[in-house]
Amino acid sequence: MRREKSLVLGVTTLAITVLLAACGSSGSKEASTDTVTFTTSDVISTMDSALNTNVIGAQALTDTMEGLYRYEGKTVKPAIATKVVKPTNNGLTYTIPLRKDAKWSNGKALTASDFVYAWQRVVNPKVGSQYAYIYEGIKNATDITAGKKAVDTLGIEAKDAHTLVITLDKSIPYFSQLMTSSTFFPVYKAAVEKAGKAYGTNSKTLVFNGPYKLSNWNGPDSSWTEVKNTNYWNAKDVKVKNLKYQVVKDASTALNLFQSNKVDRTAISGDTAKQMKNDPDYSTLPKSATFYMQLNQDKNPIFKNAKIRQAISMTINRKELVSQVLGDGSKPIASVTPKDMSFDPTTKKDFTSELSTEGTKNATYNPKEATKLWKEGLAELGQTGKTFDYTMVGDDTDTSKKQSEYLQNTLEKYLPGLKVTLANVPFKTRLTRSDSGDFDMVVSAWSADFPDPITFLDLFVTGGDNNNGHWSNTEYDAQIKASKTTNANNPTARWQNLLKAQDIMNTESGVIPLYQSGVAYLTNANVKGLDYGPSGSYNNVSLYLKK
Amino acid sequence: MTKYLIKRICYLVLTLFIVASVTFFMMKLMPGTPYTNQEKLSADQLRIMNEQYGLNKPILEQYWIYIVGLLHGDFGTSFQFNNQPVLGLIMSRLAPSLQIGAQAMILGSGLGILLGAVAAIRKNTWVDGVATFFSILGISIPNFVLAVLLQFFLAFKLQMFPIALWDGFSSSILPTLALAVAPLANTARFMRTEMVDVLSSDYIELAKAKGNSRWQTVAKHALRNSMIPVVTIIGPMAVNLMTGSLVVENIFSIPGIGEQFVKSIMTNDYPTIMGLTIFYSFLLMVIILVVDILYGIIDPRIRLSEKGAN
Repeated sequence: MRREKSLVLGVTTLAITVLLAACGSSGSKEASTDTVTFTTSDVISTMDSALNTNVIGAQALTDTMEGLYRYEGKTVKPAIATKVVKPTNNGLTYTIPLRKDAKWSNGKALTASDFVYAWQRVVNPKVGSQYAYIYEGIKNATDITAGKKAVDTLGIEAKDAHTLVITLDKSIPYFSQLMTSSTFFPVYKAAVEKAGKAYGTNSKTLVFNGPYKLSNWNGPDSSWTEVKNTNYWNAKDVKVKNLKYQVVKDASTALNLFQSNKVDRTAISGDTAKQMKNDPDYSTLPKSATFYMQLNQDKNPIFKNAKIRQAISMTINRKELVSQVLGDGSKPIASVTPKDMSFDPTTKKDFTSELSTEGTKNATYNPKEATKLWKEGLAELGQTGKTFDYTMVGDDTDTSKKQSEYLQNTLEKYLPGLKVTLANVPFKTRLTRSDSGDFDMVVSAWSADFPDPITFLDLFVTGGDNNNGHWSNTEYDAQIKASKTTNANNPTARWQNLLKAQDIMNTESGVIPLYQSGVAYLTNANVKGLDYGPSGSYNNVSLYLKK
Repeated sequence: MTKYLIKRICYLVLTLFIVASVTFFMMKLMPGTPYTNQEKLSADQLRIMNEQYGLNKPILEQYWIYIVGLLHGDFGTSFQFNNQPVLGLIMSRLAPSLQIGAQAMILGSGLGILLGAVAAIRKNTWVDGVATFFSILGISIPNFVLAVLLQFFLAFKLQMFPIALWDGFSSSILPTLALAVAPLANTARFMRTEMVDVLSSDYIELAKAKGNSRWQTVAKHALRNSMIPVVTIIGPMAVNLMTGSLVVENIFSIPGIGEQFVKSIMTNDYPTIMGLTIFYSFLLMVIILVVDILYGIIDPRIRLSEKGAN
């Protein structure tokens, strides 16, 4: 009997404590004016620049570390380097002077050998970096990763403490953009050696050279704070003292936190985003990522017919898809290469704005034309009146499911004889099915590794690993090849190659672009100077608070 | 009792071993690789990575290596959190889930037992009606709906509690309430049914005949005997709660373990999947053991195999 009594007592105590605590917490804490709080969709996986593969880690690295260059707006600006260097030796050598006032957060000088050590680490097969492939083109990188050559044969050398010489196997036209990416950041050798495998798993193992320092962060923590690094060479330009990140996954929670002034900027999605569309704090941001549909030409020869592919593309009302189904700031797109990512080296115009309308019209909603082309295509193939039962593979998130249903509906409506069955599967299953050709149609996505159209266009050359539909066009292949060889050192001619390649793919509807993914945000009106760069990270040096 | 315990612990270890083995082989049947940017790696690069992480070895050899590591207390390192030891990962994520789960369990089952008992004693009165109504309501409303409602009204509108984020005891209250309702309703239902039965049995009549008051009878004789079915359901309920409710944790942005488990499966994070499965199984078995021992304490008739089996 005593047991029951104590149980009742315990429950009563708990209930009272709950009430007391409730009263105690009613005075809400006001955020410090020196701190900007962001929500983020997930935790940091690692702070090891050699191992990180996701945007959350890339943002934390861009805040706390710095490479040769940094994006300011859409321009590549010198960071640890003193100038953005043009290559010599036919595009194969970069001699980069480093700033002498660059320091690590422990006060030690940052030298060229810190870069050498970091880069050799990324390509070292023992480290197991999943991003080592991005070094392809730097002398011996591929061979080193494959274990065929020694790590110290990599084409990077410290000529003296403040001069870095980088040698390439073949010229890399987007070299400068690449240098803004965190995989090319330097690391503090002593810290890496001391921590061993634990490097990057908590903030104690890290030494920083960027605008902020990560403090008190441990592995899977769901919040972290970055404090201003006074040893940063450009610390005088860093205006906000603390950046705070909170993992919030639920959109309505994010909205509640934002409206109670607990966070200054948050991404919102789904119905919450639709509901807030007209709010003055609402804005959207395009990402350098696109969603597109691939048609399996090996399995279904009718997809080899351009008219069939064009018909499929024209039935899709992309505007309706992004506004009614997604509602998250995604934008319709007429090419697999996204907008706001890469710019003509001479005219400075956006890549997508220079594409021919002959190609982009195929990605414009035109159901009448679609039905007509579909019938013509089938007639050419001698398949008139036949029925086609196809499986469309997509991801199994809520949004992806809705998106697949939308596509199914619209395709079946305008293309007589076509029946679409949906297979919404987990991400890894989607990849496996795409690779093995176990699909008729698949909705795929790609995000830029570095801001250059080639990161998208390279996917669809004949025999490309990610060309799952096996669309093939010799003229397309030739343009891509020319951009990498004959015109590699001629930015203008190379740009024309890329434009032509994209035009060919569009005209042929080789791959069917759907939309450029975007994110809807709510931002406190006091937060200014948000600078989202083409590399997919914010440059938080320019961030400030309106007082 | 000691003999019985030793026997149970041996079974526990054996079961864990079987669970680990079955999970290992099933896990290897899942499509894809544990690499987070798998789609960007060429076949050649994948081969190099597999060599690096020992995933190119025959499955049986990988299994052997894993089991040997396990015997040395090594759960391996995570793939999604590069180089982060799995054990540390579980431990750092476990505390919030355990805390909320335990609070919800105590609050839910405690109030449930009270509510059920009161309803049974006042059978077929308005008290019973109200109690039954609330238990049905509690079972019908999913905890995440309740979580959203609690968050919106109590935290956002009335500002009585933190909206979300994990920051001290006050931030655990709303998730606890959201999670407590289902165990409360369940316990209340079981308690009422059993108590009604017990109250009509002969020994209760006898107790009453001896001149005990109604409340004395209930407290001394009925309550304890009505607890048996409740203890049965409390076991699995406790595991469910303590291992985390993914959705409620997400709504309140709590860094719990539930989400970690789902994510490790979605990303083929082999060592984390194994570590969490073994851990969950261990927790479930320990709770079952505790429940079995509790039976004996509550009801002397089932003083386990000590006399019966031996």
